[in-house]
Amino acid sequence: MAHAGIRKVIVRAGGVAGGGRMATHAGAPLETPFGTAEIVEGDRIRAIPVIPREAPPGVAFLGGIQRYSVDGWFGATPVVRAHVAAAALCRNGGELVTVATRHEDFLVAPLAVLSDSEREALAAREERLYPSEPGSRRHPLLEIQLAVQVVDRRRAEVEATVAKEYREAKPGGLLVVDGSVTAHSAFAKDSRLLGIVKSHETQFLNGADVVTAMTLEPGHRSSVFAPKYERGAPVHSWYVRLWPWEGQDITHGLVRVERYATDASVSEADEISGWLMRERAPLSTPDARWDRLLYPIHRVEDLLRAKAGSWS
Amino acid sequence: MIDRGSKPIGRVVATEVLPASPHQFHFWTAVEAPLGIGAIVRVENGGDGRVVYAVVTDGKAYSDLATPLHDVLAAEGNPTGEAPTSRAEIRLWTAAVLRQVPEEPVQPVPLAEVRLASRVDVETALRMDAYLRGERPTGIPVGLYTAGGLSSPVYVDADFLLGPESAHLNITGISGLATKTSAVEFLIGSIFEHFPTHKGRVAAVCFNVKGPDLCFLDQPGPLTDAEKQMYVDLGIEPKPFENVSYYAPFRPDGVNLNTLRSNPELVGTVEPLVWGLREVLDYHEVLLNRDDVDAKADAFIDFLADRVVEKEFADEWGNLHRVKNFIDLERLFRAIFDGLESAGRSDMWRTHHIATIRKVRNRLLNISVRCKGLVTDDGSVSDLPFGTFEDRRVYVIDVAGMDNLGQDLVFTRIVSQLREHLERRNLGVEHVVVFVDELNKYAPQDGPDTYVRKMLLDISERGRYLGLVLFGAQQFRSQVHKRVVGNAGTVLFGRMDLDELATPGYQVLSPATKIKMATMPKGELMIRHPHFTHPVFVKFPRPAVLTGRGGVERFPPAVDVSFEDAVARQLAQLDRGVAAARVKDLIAGRPEDDVRRALLATRRARPKDVLTFFQSRLPTAVQRTEMKPKSGVSVVRPVEDPYGP
Repeated sequence: MAHAGIRKVIVRAGGVAGGGRMATHAGAPLETPFGTAEIVEGDRIRAIPVIPREAPPGVAFLGGIQRYSVDGWFGATPVVRAHVAAAALCRNGGELVTVATRHEDFLVAPLAVLSDSEREALAAREERLYPSEPGSRRHPLLEIQLAVQVVDRRRAEVEATVAKEYREAKPGGLLVVDGSVTAHSAFAKDSRLLGIVKSHETQFLNGADVVTAMTLEPGHRSSVFAPKYERGAPVHSWYVRLWPWEGQDITHGLVRVERYATDASVSEADEISGWLMRERAPLSTPDARWDRLLYPIHRVEDLLRAKAGSWS
Repeated sequence: MIDRGSKPIGRVVATEVLPASPHQFHFWTAVEAPLGIGAIVRVENGGDGRVVYAVVTDGKAYSDLATPLHDVLAAEGNPTGEAPTSRAEIRLWTAAVLRQVPEEPVQPVPLAEVRLASRVDVETALRMDAYLRGERPTGIPVGLYTAGGLSSPVYVDADFLLGPESAHLNITGISGLATKTSAVEFLIGSIFEHFPTHKGRVAAVCFNVKGPDLCFLDQPGPLTDAEKQMYVDLGIEPKPFENVSYYAPFRPDGVNLNTLRSNPELVGTVEPLVWGLREVLDYHEVLLNRDDVDAKADAFIDFLADRVVEKEFADEWGNLHRVKNFIDLERLFRAIFDGLESAGRSDMWRTHHIATIRKVRNRLLNISVRCKGLVTDDGSVSDLPFGTFEDRRVYVIDVAGMDNLGQDLVFTRIVSQLREHLERRNLGVEHVVVFVDELNKYAPQDGPDTYVRKMLLDISERGRYLGLVLFGAQQFRSQVHKRVVGNAGTVLFGRMDLDELATPGYQVLSPATKIKMATMPKGELMIRHPHFTHPVFVKFPRPAVLTGRGGVERFPPAVDVSFEDAVARQLAQLDRGVAAARVKDLIAGRPEDDVRRALLATRRARPKDVLTFFQSRLPTAVQRTEMKPKSGVSVVRPVEDPYGP
């Protein structure tokens, strides 16, 4: 049966057409597919319509990039070269102005398994040299993954540093970060920090709540809930559907908003969701994540990529 | 030491697709940078000290929008919807290199900071330093380069404007925008004020070919404060021409001048332009249709010019001729025809066939009819002062009221005379600027090879060695002969017609430059000069003279008056004390030709006692006597048979 025919059948049967993208291999297994949460706005997750509204003045946006490559081997041990960077841009009259920016170039390798001369050679070449955990058994691909975890952490740390610098420069400004706010523990209790999570790897809701949250109509938000994280200050979160998902994947246009838990994080959910709807324009194309990537965050990434230059 | 001047406004960028070369490069600026097409910029490489000067020839703006459709989607089809964040936007400029310092080795433009040019940079970029500095500067201000708040004078090199290195100027632009004529008037004023004395004396001859355009060069025109400031910046005094001589032919009546500068306040300053047989015969090629006058007619005309005119000439029938004017010429023709008839030889005279002689007679005598007012039958002459031309004087010849034939004759003869006198170095000045408007009419790219066009080609190609400089203007450069425009060292462009810009001659210009040319306001020009690697845009103030339209409003042309009144008025202009009634009494009953001759002689002599002189030039009046029929003559009786006894 033709592709379009199946979609019609599903729609006629009360379902929603999917994107129908072709794939040849299963994706990487989800590491943390499930979490738990407590609903803090009502007793169940509801779809709440939001009214688009103006964004508050002086909002800033923080994002980061990371790049790496395996630049060599000592035997079967990889040496990873990496670049991480982060920047915070403040919006003033529609224009984005850089407030804080940082970058770091470094090498990552399982130093514990290298010889003295190999370590010295790397240290002489690059000032910053971070160790990665050696695998329990020697496996080049696994050791690359462990090195990339170091790169991930360094990027998060650089982002946290930029966030602090921004807060010092603009103590009262609203800061939107790309990803979860939990990476910025220094801002616990800071209601002016807002996280926009684009990936939905961890599902905190359950049962009918998941269906309600994941099938939100465009221009709707879910009720506020409190995801349970292992560490850090309590967080409030809710979903917002920015773009229609019919004919696309179920997460198309769906973002999850996070704030450190305060009284305002529930009462201001409508307002924040409203101006997030306005942030749909301009589109952040040609980025493939344009349906969830806010344009100012896209600009932060563009800026950092331009500053990083070519990778050679 | 290099003057770093202004702050950086941009940076050179180069990619494989858009590389920087020795002649062109690209740079970006902030959106609000005070930059536009025609701006001059400086790129300085801190490493080896290389400095590159360039002129902006094109500009592009674009954002990070992937496709226009994405903007529609984001705005949800509402064009008035305003996004909270402005898209990233770039201003990417293309610049053409004007000069590199050092000149050698020629290298690609460095990927360095870009600055707006300072006044010194403009001088260097346009290589003006070569002729503005030194013991004998030869710079002539032509306008102000303005960009980014800078107002810097631009000079052309007198050696390349008036010779001998190169010469001639050509100006193109849409009619009616007061650019072509105004620019030439302004430039002649600038030349008169700044032409270096060590290069000799200079005069200008301007042909007023339409309306009252050049009729009021000696009258002050209104200027705004901004225009006065431009004059200050250019170092030119805003004043009308102090020395102007006006010439115009008469109307067919021979006494009213054929000019729009005929207001009683001004007409006294207009000299009549009157020529006789000799002046015309030398340029018969202009007047006679080549299809009509063949080699045989040419030979006969040459015979007349060489052997007859202004010489003692005896015909075969015992008549002695001295042909000085058209009346004498007609007398000669009559004698030939009568002589041939009486001798019974009616076909040949001195190897010339009678039909050829008749044809030449008809054509030549017809000239005095077709150009009546300019050409006189009786040989009276009033001409330009060839030999005593004055330094920094404008000679305006108003031929606007003449037909094409007359204009061609005036133009050809005057320019030929200028050339001959310049060749002999006895004109009175060493350089003459000849301004001709409507060049596409006189030297068209297509059409017949006229005497006028041949002469213009000759000036264009050889005039610079003589000091004879052509300032030509036309609406469509593409319609003027290529050798005429091609020999112009300096070229000015006013606002241009888009169709004209689409012709092959403008292919070297960028689309942005063409659009700027098509939308240029009054008072702005693009100039090409041998020292400038690329054309540059300049602004010039209105000339400090009364425009033709303003002049006609302020000095309305006088209505043509009767022969007697016109004579009286002209004599009164020479001497206000001359009473009209006395003049009318003097000329009453006299042949008009006698009066015209006397008037012309008086104008030429400008005596102290005008009326006495005028009277002395009138032929002695013959007393009229009434002839009564004689009495006593018998009536002839009718004869019935005239052959009878």
